[in-house]
Amino acid sequence: MGLIMQNKNSKYGEIQLVHRMTVIKRIIHWSFFAAIINNIITGFYIAYPFLIFGKTPTQADSLSTGVLNSGETYQAFIMTWMREFHFIGAVIIDVIFFVWLYLAFFSWKEPLYKSFIPFGDKLEEAWRMLKHYFTLKDRPKTGRYQDPLNAIIFTLFHLLILLQMLTGFQMYVASFTGTSAVGAWWPWLLHFSTDWTLVVFGGLTGVTLVHLFIMWLIIIFIAYHVYIEVWRSIMWKEGDILIPFGGYKYMRNKSESESDI
Amino acid sequence: MANDNRSNSNGNNSDPDFKWDPLRFISKKPDEVLKKVDDRLDVLEKEYFSDKKDKEENLPNILEIYGVSRRDFLKWTAFLTSALMLPYIFEPRVARAANILTRTPFIWLDMADCMGNTEGFLRTAHPTPAEIILNYVSVNYMESIMAPAGYQAETRRTETVKKYKGKYILVVEGAIPTGMDGKFLTIGAKGDTGLKITKETAKHAGVIIAVGNCAAYGGIPAANPNPTSAVGLSSVTNRSVINIPACPANPVNLVGTLVEYILIGKAPQLDSLGRPLWAYSGRLHDNCYRRGHFEAGEYVRQWGDDGAKKQYCLYMMGCKGPFTWNNCTTAEYNQDISFPMRAGHGCIGCSQPAFWDRMTPFEKPNADAKIIIPGIEATADEFGVGLFAAAGAGIAAHAIYTGVKKKKEHKKSKNEKNDDSGKNDDNKKE
Repeated sequence: MGLIMQNKNSKYGEIQLVHRMTVIKRIIHWSFFAAIINNIITGFYIAYPFLIFGKTPTQADSLSTGVLNSGETYQAFIMTWMREFHFIGAVIIDVIFFVWLYLAFFSWKEPLYKSFIPFGDKLEEAWRMLKHYFTLKDRPKTGRYQDPLNAIIFTLFHLLILLQMLTGFQMYVASFTGTSAVGAWWPWLLHFSTDWTLVVFGGLTGVTLVHLFIMWLIIIFIAYHVYIEVWRSIMWKEGDILIPFGGYKYMRNKSESESDI
Repeated sequence: MANDNRSNSNGNNSDPDFKWDPLRFISKKPDEVLKKVDDRLDVLEKEYFSDKKDKEENLPNILEIYGVSRRDFLKWTAFLTSALMLPYIFEPRVARAANILTRTPFIWLDMADCMGNTEGFLRTAHPTPAEIILNYVSVNYMESIMAPAGYQAETRRTETVKKYKGKYILVVEGAIPTGMDGKFLTIGAKGDTGLKITKETAKHAGVIIAVGNCAAYGGIPAANPNPTSAVGLSSVTNRSVINIPACPANPVNLVGTLVEYILIGKAPQLDSLGRPLWAYSGRLHDNCYRRGHFEAGEYVRQWGDDGAKKQYCLYMMGCKGPFTWNNCTTAEYNQDISFPMRAGHGCIGCSQPAFWDRMTPFEKPNADAKIIIPGIEATADEFGVGLFAAAGAGIAAHAIYTGVKKKKEHKKSKNEKNDDSGKNDDNKKE
């Protein structure tokens, strides 16, 4: 074992542990993940109710679903539950968004804004990272902090989440009649912050479609995010994929290509 | 917003601070409100009826023609009072207001539309008092039912505007084309544009009501691509307009608004789209009698299937009830007996702005609507799946590219290693 480490050391340089994600951030990451997956599934159901409960014999797709779905209306309430879980997931996402926003500026460990400033330098670094993805050469040395390209993409992703929140709240407040139990400020706040979406996206139906479409962009982000983290782990051999699990990654003072050439 | 002061003209509503909120409570001083309403009704009755006999026999005479009994009329006043969200003490006052309404000077303008609202009110087989009263309002100008024609009709209108300045009720039906200076719509012997007539008539009206979706928001004439640049009434006048949308509008909503105007001389409370809150504050989806089936996941999946026979929810058949605010479910259509969902078809959202563009396709879920991005003819899901597939292809391509490139470099470095293998051996020995 020691020999292997020695060999690797000589080839890739010394391995260093780098602490990248605090426990809080990891909890945020995975609850965000769970809430988003939950909301994608329940959101799909709300858009297209694919499970039809209380089916009549001609509506049942198979014998088993016909048996499963027989019964009284109150026993099913599947749309109620789907919407309930969609709202619960939405609340989690909303809270996480605001926590993320706070941490992006006031995190003790690694506020996101530091990956943007100084703006010019970090943009250039992001551009170099993008080039590295396609040429596999000249990797920018970003082992110790959030790399600017990721920071930009994560920020765009959170803006998508924000738009998703605003359109979602518009659809939510649409069903309010009068004031709410907590007082008139709550519907007022929702109307105040989301009524512009009606004008921009063309009424409540347009808002709904935008909500649906942004979900696809979020799904695409998830695919990109998983792929690029796996890619980095394989290519850089620094265990980037481990960050959200253990909070640590490795850093080598030499990259593979440097050691080779 | 809409409660602009018309005190100089009509009755005794000289107090601009007079608070009128039928949705919550009428006022902090109910006696005062009742007195105000009574005083106003007294003044109006004195103005519009010649004597006591005239006043008392007017409405019975009208109702008798249509075979509506006094009892039916009283039932209707109870219905309208509760629809207006007023306490029952207003019932006799609603009846009085209905009586006065038949004598109030009234101008009905027809602009660009199918006249469906007119038909809806005038052509019912068994009219309710709402339709009868609309039929018998002292119509000074209404192209479809008036006897005068040509220059006579024009004169009638201009005279009414002059004589009853600030008193007459103006109801506009149909969108107003504004393209080419309004020349897409010319009306009457002089060939005046609809735009000009509307502006002139709206200027001195006591209350302005846009009835039907076309008049309220442009409706079908304003549907994309809107070649005539048709707009709703509120876009061409700077006066406040009460919108009574729907296609056609429910007579109850129009008469109720008119009755409320007679009672207090003010527009009712309006929502953000200019609609009276008493009629348009409820979402169809929330008040629908099929809502339980929506929650239970019981949907009609095909016209005429078992679900349809069992009156399951029409969400999958494109019901736009979740996007529509109206009181169809409570004050129903067709002589108050039915509305789309009861008849087995989903709502098409006809009381919402631009419903012809935004609520289509009418018989498919909203998620199946085409998204409005120029050059793309796809639903949100189709476009989303397309983008996702493109992204997936991009990821796969990048992965393959990386693998191939890596292999090449690996080979290259191996060759290099083989070339100077001696050096490596030296290192190992150390």
